[in-house]
Amino acid sequence: MGIGPSTKETTLHHFRDPLVRTVAVDPDIDFQGIIVVGTPQDNYLKTLVGVRTAVMLEAMRANGAIISADGWGNSDVDFMNTMTEIDDRKISVVGLKFIGVQAGFVVNNELTKFVVDINKSSAGIETTVVGENNLSEKDAHQALGLLKLKMRHDGQEVN
Amino acid sequence: MKKDKLTIQAFSMQHVDFDQEYHLTKDSLSIPDHPLFELDDRLKSLTIKLVDPKDCHFEVNTIMDVIPISTKVLGKIGYGLTNTLTGVNVILTGADETGIQLHEFGSSEGYLDEKIKFGQDGTPDLDDQVILIDAELYQDFEFNRETCEMIFKTVDDYLQPIREELKMLSAREASESFDYFNTKHPGKPKVAIVKEVAGQGAMYDNIVFPKEPSGIDQGISIIDMDNMPILLTANEYRDGAIHALV
Repeated sequence: MGIGPSTKETTLHHFRDPLVRTVAVDPDIDFQGIIVVGTPQDNYLKTLVGVRTAVMLEAMRANGAIISADGWGNSDVDFMNTMTEIDDRKISVVGLKFIGVQAGFVVNNELTKFVVDINKSSAGIETTVVGENNLSEKDAHQALGLLKLKMRHDGQEVN
Repeated sequence: MKKDKLTIQAFSMQHVDFDQEYHLTKDSLSIPDHPLFELDDRLKSLTIKLVDPKDCHFEVNTIMDVIPISTKVLGKIGYGLTNTLTGVNVILTGADETGIQLHEFGSSEGYLDEKIKFGQDGTPDLDDQVILIDAELYQDFEFNRETCEMIFKTVDDYLQPIREELKMLSAREASESFDYFNTKHPGKPKVAIVKEVAGQGAMYDNIVFPKEPSGIDQGISIIDMDNMPILLTANEYRDGAIHALV
């Protein structure tokens, strides 16, 4: 498993990225930037890049993070591992990922309920139609709203 | 030059056609129907068509990417001035001469109008013109990173002369202009985005920090960085710092 046609983010998607468009300008938060991290094949590296991402966020004194992925299956391990590493450092974290009926988590934990499903197809499957199941501006607003609630619930303090 | 300000000027293309040479004005684009350079030995052909998204019920190979055409005029990725074309986008498709599709996981070959949802952030609008580029490899090709990168690079090289002309267009002729800042809201909760992207091999890769926005040349593969996290500003992201190879 990997990245299917309906969830893959094209170069044009990155250029007009709805998540950046929505979150970067929100007046209720102090936006810090976008951490781009890969999804390695090797298990040792999978863990390592997740830890490095969380350490970077901690050093940035982040209160919250929104993690998104355009693949599913094998990369769920990276996704949940990174979420856990971020959560362990007392940073509020929510996720965005294709789930539908086809891509339920390979691994589940107490953080999976903070992952927003970006599926758009009625059947909840990889439709092989380019653009159909991409993260949209609505998904971005939903995740940002969820993060704001979670940061408040977690008692995040700005310093 | 201020490093926290990015200006993107858009030139709206009303008319796109084929000609012997590249020619760009504030609202029209002419391109040759084939690359004006020799193809790599692995490539059998690069077929270029102009397509109206409202009338595209014909079969295509798997869709490898959708690419905007932008160029740096002043500064580097993330600040200064970028010119971009609106109303026209590139769709790249690919297969080998026997019909083996170029994808990592799930193919989108079929009727174009059924295999792409137009009007999304990552796809052309229905009113856009589409430059459809189909890459055909000789059979018995090696499906590896080098082969895939060669295809993306070939398309990038084909588009570069458009960018060279786009650099020369006057600001007064732009149809729209947008100023972007890395906005700070001191005292509010600090929030970052983490984007997990592909980095495992052929057609499962991403290029970052290309020389041109959404380009390939001089970019670095996320695989070659061992998938390590890197921090981008909002403006770098908005300025095409990532080229997808998925």
